[in-house]
Amino acid sequence: MQRQALRTWLFLAPAGAWFLCMLVLPLIVVFVYSFGERGAAGGYAPAFTFDNFLNLGSRWAAFKNTLILAPLGTLICLLIAYPLAYFLALKTSPRWRTVLLILVIVPFWTSILIRSYAWIYLLGGQGIPALLNALGLGNPRLINTPFAVLVGIVYGYLPLMVFPIYVALERLDKRLLEASSDLGSPPWRSFLQVTLPLSMPGVATGCMLVFILLMGEFLIPAMLGGGKVFFIGNALVDLFLQSRNWPFGSAVAVALVLVMLITVLAYMRFTRRWAGGRDDVSLM
Amino acid sequence: MRLYALAVYLFLYIPIGVIALFSFNAGRHAAQFQGFSTQWYGKALSNPFVMDALQTSLTVALASALLATLFGTMAALALQSVRGRVRMAFDALIYIAVMVPGIVIGIATLIALVTLFGWLNPLIEALWPLAGKAPQLSLGYGSLIAAHGLFTMALVIIIVRARMAGMDRSLIEASADLGATPWGTFRQVTLPQIFPGILAGFLLAFTFSFDDFIIAFFVAGSQTTLPVYVFSSIRRGVTPEINAIGTMVLAVSLVMLIAAQAILQRGRKAA
Amino acid sequence: MTDRNDFISREKFMAELYRYKKGSVTRRHFLGVTGLGVATSVLGAAMPGLRSAARAQGSIGDRVVVASWPNYHDPANFEAFTAETGAAVDLNVFGSNEEMLAKLQAGGSGWDVFVPTNYTISTYVEEDLIEPLDLSKLPNYDPASFDARFAEAGTVNGVVYAVPRNWGTTGFVVNTSMLGDLPKPTTWKEFWDMTKAEFSGRTMVHDYQLTTIGNALKYFGYSFNSIDPKELADAERLLLEVKPHLFGINSDYQPSMRSGDAWMSIAWTGDGLQLHRDMPEIDYVLGKEGGELWSDFFAIPKGAPHRDAAYALINYLLTPEVNAKEVMFHGYPVADARVNAILPPEMLNDPIMYPAQELLDALEFGAAVTLTDPNRAELMARFKSA
Repeated sequence: MQRQALRTWLFLAPAGAWFLCMLVLPLIVVFVYSFGERGAAGGYAPAFTFDNFLNLGSRWAAFKNTLILAPLGTLICLLIAYPLAYFLALKTSPRWRTVLLILVIVPFWTSILIRSYAWIYLLGGQGIPALLNALGLGNPRLINTPFAVLVGIVYGYLPLMVFPIYVALERLDKRLLEASSDLGSPPWRSFLQVTLPLSMPGVATGCMLVFILLMGEFLIPAMLGGGKVFFIGNALVDLFLQSRNWPFGSAVAVALVLVMLITVLAYMRFTRRWAGGRDDVSLM
Repeated sequence: MRLYALAVYLFLYIPIGVIALFSFNAGRHAAQFQGFSTQWYGKALSNPFVMDALQTSLTVALASALLATLFGTMAALALQSVRGRVRMAFDALIYIAVMVPGIVIGIATLIALVTLFGWLNPLIEALWPLAGKAPQLSLGYGSLIAAHGLFTMALVIIIVRARMAGMDRSLIEASADLGATPWGTFRQVTLPQIFPGILAGFLLAFTFSFDDFIIAFFVAGSQTTLPVYVFSSIRRGVTPEINAIGTMVLAVSLVMLIAAQAILQRGRKAA
Repeated sequence: MTDRNDFISREKFMAELYRYKKGSVTRRHFLGVTGLGVATSVLGAAMPGLRSAARAQGSIGDRVVVASWPNYHDPANFEAFTAETGAAVDLNVFGSNEEMLAKLQAGGSGWDVFVPTNYTISTYVEEDLIEPLDLSKLPNYDPASFDARFAEAGTVNGVVYAVPRNWGTTGFVVNTSMLGDLPKPTTWKEFWDMTKAEFSGRTMVHDYQLTTIGNALKYFGYSFNSIDPKELADAERLLLEVKPHLFGINSDYQPSMRSGDAWMSIAWTGDGLQLHRDMPEIDYVLGKEGGELWSDFFAIPKGAPHRDAAYALINYLLTPEVNAKEVMFHGYPVADARVNAILPPEMLNDPIMYPAQELLDALEFGAAVTLTDPNRAELMARFKSA
């Protein structure tokens, strides 16, 4: 028994040390810095003040943008991904299914930077707006708008939503659907009463994944928002890479982590009741 | 339904098509197509900075994925027999590692390491016993591997644990009853069962690290990874060279995916 | 360059260079076959660029990393440098001096050469981020031929930390074909007023506090460098009012101006010239109230990994012939009399590069305190996240 305990500790030690050095320690540093002052030319100077937290209100717009666009982006991803996952899981032959699934993952393997870059062209004045103009449908300005950022978000994260839903639908016992239709219920009713509830854990997982990533998003708003659609991630990067205000940046980071923890916990509470899924399933 | 699927696939592939198309542009500007050429592929492959960045990315992805898989699997195994406060602490750490945005991890790691190096480097210099210049700690391979490994190790733990949850425990008991050593039981019973989870964890870890921009952007120091290089090229003003790099990465991953699929299918047929 | 008969073909030269680099021929063979040996010994005294490049052969390493600004370097010159020395050039582009400073402060930038603006150099010295330059390694830098006004900021406390590259002004570009019946704007007041009205959704400002806040301050007639809280509050009010009317906040506005997405933007001399050269309807305007006059420098950060290559590159780019090619590409004026002597006269008379004296007189150099003032930094960050 002694030896087994020793082995357990030895097995846990590297992971524990890694978490300690690369997660706990940096987060403590950020927490400590958030009470400091900006150095003369930028950076950090030791102090104890709550000013940085009191100043958080000046970033309200960025928090608001994030708290609106992240759930909205997640929802749009879900609405587009669900029918596709349904189609892949239930309406395709096994032969095609593999190919089509691979085709969903492949874009994910091209750097998000390059894929977002393609949208700068497509949404820019010489892209889709020019096409619409030629068709006489007006010449809307698309790039550097919340719409462009939403398109980029949906484009970037759609595969992450499709997969968990597909897995949930694919595992679904087809006999249940047959039974339902044998009992005379119309297809829409089978869908609402059988398919949808059983796919909920997949939906919850997908939403969770996309939502977590969107809350910390910085690249897509930076590329497609042109500095006009600011997420909290952009405000954070700006504080470190432009105004060199490490303490205030740390306070924003602390606030972002807290907001995330609260929303994610609330969400998990909500979905656990709603989907009946285990929490570790809904996370991954 | 099919039409809908087609529309979604078009949405997914039109931007990629545009990228691939412009990689064959003869002109320097990415905006207008000025004739067909493969020169940018040659340029990208002979650009030492692209090759450096690729090498850094591959090294970091491989090292961080290997370490994360090894330590993550070990932790997942050990956590089976741990209860109480230690277990709770680990669960909390795993959750936090997954939940804290990459951007916060990147920035937090950066300022923590810069602060730490600021203390340690003068110390090393003062205590350095040999002649010549003392080595200085700085951001680079180490910080990249450590920061990437953190997130991916949490992923590996989650995946392997999920796999173990679905494992048949009676086999382990049977093995023990039959007098197998714990190591023998592990090698012959547990490992084969959790191996798909370990493999999936490794592949996911590798992909994550290879594709990560945000964390690398902060902690890479002077070591440029491929995504960081691509980012600075986009800022410099895109030439089709970037499109060529993107298209090549895509083509290689596509071939790898198809090959993996083919091997799996053959394996299935053989079995 | 004077005696073409001695020169071998470009292909042959490259083949020999390649063989030399691989080590299959000796340096002596290489210099002999290519004629560089003769060229170095004969022309060495007359052409320092050639001498140092040949001396540098094989000893400077195979790469050099540069941090600079958008649309600022002729790629052909970097390619020529690589062909001559074997060191490939990696160019990183930044949108503001703040961003460069932040990267250097965080450590491990990996840069060998960077291009700071006049008013930042004293801060780099105070923060111990910049190397004093060894001028003996820059034989092509001739202080006597530089206009002191644009060179003096490189020397701090009597030590040379940076050598001048070129200077310029900060004004704005406007696409006149989009003006309709409006008169062409000539002041910062008109710039900001038009942004709020006729050019709503079509104007860009820099992602750079110095120029964006500075030119908002000019709306009220304040100093470009003001750090007075009351004046900054006025500027912030204007910027917040304008924000919804902007097309974007980006220091590389050329792509958007070229595509027609943006019609007006705060701009630097060279971008104005490049845009005007390709699209004559785009004009470069200096606001009558004033604005910024600046000078950029070459410098080497502390801990540069390829220091020899850094010196070789700076020296190469300061060769008058090379620098002249840079000017033809980027369209910024240089303060080096040797370069101006070989530039085409129409460039020296270009009103974008050399604005009328009364417009120049109203301009100010950036001040060191403008870079480090925490209120300006925070104002810009608030403006962006609003």
